[in-house]
Amino acid sequence: MERRVVITGGAAITPIGHAKEDIINSLINGVSGVKPLRSDHLLTDYIHSRVFGTVDYTVEYDFKRRFRKTMGPVAYYACQVVKELLAASGLTQDFITSGRLGVAFGSTHGSPTVQRSIYKKFFSRSQTEFSAIGAVDYLKSMVHTTAVNITKMFGITGRVISSSTACTTSSQSVGFGYEMIKFGIQDAMICGGADEYDTTTVAVFDNLLACSTAFNDTPNKTPRPFAADRDGLVVGEGGGAVLLEEYESARKRGADILGEIIGFACNNNGGDLILPNVDGIKETLRLGLKSAGITSDDVDFICAHATGTKMGDIIEAMAIHRIYGDSPYVAALKSYMGHIMGTCGVVETLLTLYMMEKGFIAPTLNLDEIDSRCAMIRHVTEIMDKKIRIAAIQNFAFGGVNTSIVLKKFEN
Amino acid sequence: MLPREQITDKLMQIFEDCFEIENPGLDDNLRDEHEFDSIDAIELLVEIEKMLGFALTQEEKKQAMDIRTLNHICDYIEAIQRNRE
Repeated sequence: MERRVVITGGAAITPIGHAKEDIINSLINGVSGVKPLRSDHLLTDYIHSRVFGTVDYTVEYDFKRRFRKTMGPVAYYACQVVKELLAASGLTQDFITSGRLGVAFGSTHGSPTVQRSIYKKFFSRSQTEFSAIGAVDYLKSMVHTTAVNITKMFGITGRVISSSTACTTSSQSVGFGYEMIKFGIQDAMICGGADEYDTTTVAVFDNLLACSTAFNDTPNKTPRPFAADRDGLVVGEGGGAVLLEEYESARKRGADILGEIIGFACNNNGGDLILPNVDGIKETLRLGLKSAGITSDDVDFICAHATGTKMGDIIEAMAIHRIYGDSPYVAALKSYMGHIMGTCGVVETLLTLYMMEKGFIAPTLNLDEIDSRCAMIRHVTEIMDKKIRIAAIQNFAFGGVNTSIVLKKFEN
Repeated sequence: MLPREQITDKLMQIFEDCFEIENPGLDDNLRDEHEFDSIDAIELLVEIEKMLGFALTQEEKKQAMDIRTLNHICDYIEAIQRNRE
């Protein structure tokens, strides 16, 4: 049994806005959410990159203590976007708790803020006499903390999937959620990811010489995906969620259908854990099209992973060109937000849905001069009116994991 | 040894500061009436250690798991203090 899967809700907290209207305005007006890296009074003294995709506005949380007590900052992002999503969904409480609704939600590594506080106690030897680790520190910091804080807060009793595959975390959430419904295991899935402010991730990429450092004084000028003078990625923070439902039940209940997922692919390069691999990525894109039952000519728009690293962008452009030629428009939304790590896939899916709805494509920011090695694909360098019918969102992660999500504009 | 009145005052403050439970009745069932669960109980033990100024043993901690009311907690702390004298 294969069933149609539609997207009936979404919410995000991003460096370029929280409300849908704010995010769309940022895309239309080319507003970047990359800001100076704020100090953590520890690692930031040693990090060369001084930029960060920043959530610099206040999010009003009103979670009760019985929920807050097991939540680190990453779970706040996760639970808030799901709270907004469910509030707008029209789903009944009976359905939410029925077991027919599941959760696929993850983060890059749980809550580094809480993990750091645990190690700080040990290494400072300040509290060795008493129980240094709180009873809830593990619940706040564990890898699946986002998913299970969501289930706890909303009483969700269905499947729980909590991927933690770095930059493909939330695209796996969306893809695995799609498969849960497509194959009849669940009727609806809340899918997404979150990542909190975390300098550990910045330090990791900084050590690998993969972080942007040349635009520390002009944060909004970086990252520069596909540009000749790009110099690396910018780490960011945020959370995002989409609600997936089986089409017939969504239609019957009169849900507002934002789009349809028609295909998903996920594979591994089967080799190096860091270096991008053109054959692995090509295979992902090919499998995505096969899963959707379409040809490359059917795809109007590709939301590229394009982090702004020197090699990654070239390999991605090569893979796109070999599978799609120069037909689909290509844009890199990380140029607006930086790389929000495990959250990027779901947020890029949601932003693509927004562009589908509004009939435009936001350009890749900072693409003043296209790298000649990336020039063989159809870059979007200025905002354009375009009715996107089918789009592909592709993401690639450390560990050689690749994903492609294929979206279709919903037509009655 | 802390007198019972002082223990009660300190516990009231802990419940307000750490658990957002204000002025619970001394015989209230903390779980049923204030959503005070087993995780909170573990956190409370850390606060009791700070109050007493020494670490509790695993056996002493296990004895606290059946506590249901503030009066029980006071009894528990008094017993710990007596046994340590």
